[in-house]
Amino acid sequence: MESLIQALLNGLVLGLIYVAIAVGLTIVFGTLRLVNFAHGAFYAIGAYVGLVLAGQYGLVAAFVAAPIAVAAFAVVLDRLVLRFFYEKDATSQLLLTFGIALVVEESLRLIFGGTTQRYPVPDALAGSFPLGPIAYPAYRLAFALGIVVMLVVVWLIIERTNYGLIVRAGIRDRIMVQLLGGNIRRASTIVFALGAAIAGLVGAAASPIYSVNPNVGFSFLVPSFVVVVVGGLGSFWGAVLGGLLIGELQSVTTVVFAPASNVVIYLCMALVLLLRPQGLLGESEVIRQS
Amino acid sequence: MSASTPATPPKTRPPSVLAGDLRFLVLTALALAIFPFLLHVVGGYGGLATQICILSIAAIGFNLLLGYAGMLSYGHAMFYGGGGYLAAILLMRAMPAHPNLWLAVLGATLATALLALAVGAVTVRLYGIYFALLTLAFAQMVFFIVEQGGEITGGDDGLQSFPSALMPIGPWNVDLSAALPPVGLGPFGTVGDLKLWYVFAALVLLLVLWFTRALTRSQFGEVLGAIRENEERSLFVGFNAASYRLAAFAISGALTGFAGALRALYDGTVAVDSLGIDRSGSFVIYTIVGGVQTLFGPVVGTAVIVYLENVLSGVTSWWRLIEGLIFVAAIVFLPSGIVGTLGGKAWSGRRALLTGLRPRSSGSRSDETLRAAQPIAQVGVAAPAASAVPAPGDLPGENA
Repeated sequence: MESLIQALLNGLVLGLIYVAIAVGLTIVFGTLRLVNFAHGAFYAIGAYVGLVLAGQYGLVAAFVAAPIAVAAFAVVLDRLVLRFFYEKDATSQLLLTFGIALVVEESLRLIFGGTTQRYPVPDALAGSFPLGPIAYPAYRLAFALGIVVMLVVVWLIIERTNYGLIVRAGIRDRIMVQLLGGNIRRASTIVFALGAAIAGLVGAAASPIYSVNPNVGFSFLVPSFVVVVVGGLGSFWGAVLGGLLIGELQSVTTVVFAPASNVVIYLCMALVLLLRPQGLLGESEVIRQS
Repeated sequence: MSASTPATPPKTRPPSVLAGDLRFLVLTALALAIFPFLLHVVGGYGGLATQICILSIAAIGFNLLLGYAGMLSYGHAMFYGGGGYLAAILLMRAMPAHPNLWLAVLGATLATALLALAVGAVTVRLYGIYFALLTLAFAQMVFFIVEQGGEITGGDDGLQSFPSALMPIGPWNVDLSAALPPVGLGPFGTVGDLKLWYVFAALVLLLVLWFTRALTRSQFGEVLGAIRENEERSLFVGFNAASYRLAAFAISGALTGFAGALRALYDGTVAVDSLGIDRSGSFVIYTIVGGVQTLFGPVVGTAVIVYLENVLSGVTSWWRLIEGLIFVAAIVFLPSGIVGTLGGKAWSGRRALLTGLRPRSSGSRSDETLRAAQPIAQVGVAAPAASAVPAPGDLPGENA
């Protein structure tokens, strides 16, 4: 029983990371029609920026600097290369962003070395928090709470601001938004930076839980793509539902039958793609356009 | 239609197919014969040429899918590694006493073809990111299953001590690891640097190239191109697009599995890496750098990248970064790759990538094919006469 509760909580933490990365992927796809294989690189850069700053200036500095640095990187990347690929098909975008992800991963390896690193949990959150029959690490609980707060903020930005309005309208009909005078280009850049910042912040915040190495981008990106597909490409709530589902599935399988834990999420994705190709909460029109 | 720029204008083709094929075979064989000695001049070693030949075959299989069918698979390592494991397991379990290279390779290739048919049956109805992710997912499943496979697959360690295969040709048992006669060639090294393996791998590569050339020029290849360019229209004409895509996936998987089996027998080992994401990605890189949608692109791309990898990785830790930069540069600046650009097809190739691998524009050669070709398979609709096909623009484009 204790181990199951433990697994469910671990699954929640893992699932929330997937949710955060997948939300970025999905809003970027929704507005820019860009399938971004380099999104995991944002997580990795955030983690390394956090690693460097947390050691010298503390965790707060790391949590502020990481999303800003990653968002800046994302905007530069967008203006330099990605914007030329907005109008192209998903295959060309996948190839380009795969290449960018390779370059980022190898740059990180050269700068920081290929070894696995992690930074210690801050003293204030180092203990455990009694939670019914078990004690759960306080940092993980704070982390989960922080991600939920962040997701609420992101949701408010999308649902309650004018930029969000343009973004949501753009998901429905990009051309009509432009005809009505909405500046979808600027809104898109903001969305791209926002998605990257989320990934960067989560990368920095998750490093005391999951260690950091140059591969970390890909190892979180692939499950996050699974999440996006399971939830429905372009759907915010789909990303939330898919992320929690995949995180829990992976975590609980680890306890029940460990060898299957890496296979089960792909099995889940294959099933969803076969039975409901647009994803659990996706709209059927989206799949045809990619 | 007249405004189109066909990649190969029909008029420049040789009058006789046989003469064209013969010329192709002789020139390619000559290139393969001098290749290892040119490689020696720039610092490559004997075994590298063999590895390049074998990996090229896998890349050709991958390009058949990406270039000609327009389907980007991120899971081709499942066929490459799968072929290797199957060949090794066949040698260890089915014929430990009489290791026969032909049977091991044939069995592994057929089995990967079946695997590709099974995976393809599920995946070919999906496009773009969905297809890429689902192939990746299947490859990951295969990877983890093999990694957990215990004694049969060797788990993390892979398989090493399988009997080295002998190749019976008539009454003789040829040992491919025998060295060639030590004939000195001055600055080009000596023939003796090479094993018999190179002759075998180069011959096989030659046959694979010949097969691929014939396949892409056949009606099957033309229809595949038509489906890639505009699936909706090809459906209206009466082609069963899904079965063409499935056939392309199976042939592509079988070729890659064939290469994997050869590589396992050549190395004498198989490891789980051969099933991993990096391996799948490497075929993408070889093909894009060399030239997607070209016959020789995957071979040239494999040669360039594998050569650089072997030469540079000894000199600098920057190698993998350089590889990534070459790949990105190729996509952005040289979308038709080395062969596509040098081969004077830069225009059509660049257009293909600028408008996407499944271009929205009409007026390509494959569109003409749609009009000219008689449907082979029909999806419950009577095939319309060629003249009854509406002009481009009358039909809603699927990407509109």
